[in-house]
Amino acid sequence: MTIPSSGNSLASPFTAELLRRSWLSEKTFELELSRPLSFHFRPGQRIRFLHNGLERDYSLLSRPDSPRLGLCVRHLPAGLFSSILAAAEIGTSFTFTGPHGYFVFQGSLRPAVFVATGTGVAPFLSMTRSGVTGFTMLHGVRKAAELYYRPDFCAAASLYVPCLSHASPESALPPGAYRGRVIEYLRDHLPSGAYDFYLCGRREMIRDVTLLVDERFPESLVYAEIFY
Amino acid sequence: MKTYVGSGDRGRTSLLSGERVEKSHGRIAAVGDVDELNSLLGALIAALPEKQRELREELQGIQADLFHVGAWLATSPGSSTLEMLQEIGPGRTKALEAAIDRIEAALPPLRSFIHPGGHPTAAWAHIARAVCRRAERQVLRLAAGETAEQPSSVIAYLNRLSDYLFVLARFCNTLHGIPDEVWQK
Repeated sequence: MTIPSSGNSLASPFTAELLRRSWLSEKTFELELSRPLSFHFRPGQRIRFLHNGLERDYSLLSRPDSPRLGLCVRHLPAGLFSSILAAAEIGTSFTFTGPHGYFVFQGSLRPAVFVATGTGVAPFLSMTRSGVTGFTMLHGVRKAAELYYRPDFCAAASLYVPCLSHASPESALPPGAYRGRVIEYLRDHLPSGAYDFYLCGRREMIRDVTLLVDERFPESLVYAEIFY
Repeated sequence: MKTYVGSGDRGRTSLLSGERVEKSHGRIAAVGDVDELNSLLGALIAALPEKQRELREELQGIQADLFHVGAWLATSPGSSTLEMLQEIGPGRTKALEAAIDRIEAALPPLRSFIHPGGHPTAAWAHIARAVCRRAERQVLRLAAGETAEQPSSVIAYLNRLSDYLFVLARFCNTLHGIPDEVWQK
């Protein structure tokens, strides 16, 4: 007899069917998959697709009680799996494991600051759709067309600031938008204090914001989810 | 996929519960010891003879436990993150005890101190045992003053794991026909 493994329910794969794909911009689309009845998750968590030896993680943007699992995917021309998702026929079955990750809203007396770049808004959308409100949200994108789910965040956040890193000086900005990167907004406009920072997106943003928190907001907590 | 982020380049890191701490923090030291222990188990597994499939799986189960231990150690008591972690409960310690009894039944009785060493697999097990004891001491330091329930079950698990690694080291020598080398005072 050997010691039985402590087990990991996460390892049991699920199967979901592709139900819908809608393009949010030229390079980004939203997917809806059927939710297996036995699959449960917390807002902010992600699933891991297993496909022909590939493993890819995507954060869920839907509510945990939704009958469908929603994903926001940026189609990378060189991205093997995003290309598969971009071209898959409706009805295609996918295998995944999960839920993965600890990137969930904790709630505390400190104000919450959500910082997302690009499709890193997905976990925040799941939290927002599940009733989280009153947070400050910065969404870093290159141009205004990439401000996905803006109405959801405007309705739930106490302050929603789109940060447009590539807006030319002469271009008009959407209402309330900031011309520059999220790190610049945090450095120049977020008042001193202790916050709960939730960061999701590119690793460069995670690095820069985390180092800024150490320097400027040292009593804060940092929860991060890196999108590779 | 790049493995580096760079947010720890100035000597601080994040706990699972969100706090930014120095990398020399006791909680990070404990996580590091458990990581080192887990890596040593990996070295031991890699050195095991091909036919020891069951033992390899047993050790891989312990490696999975140690990931859970590491996650617990990286989380401050009272954090709601703890709700998402898998506990290392008394059942896992009992499983180690059963494995110790099973292995000991195949070994000659021991009445003296023995030299840590012998076959390379036994040597790896002895190093892992010593690091396991260090991890246990680090967790004890951490647990001093804390009232959370998990550290006590983690401490019991690490205590039993070092016992397991001791008998496993002897078993590895036995497998290769190497007798215990008794310490001569």
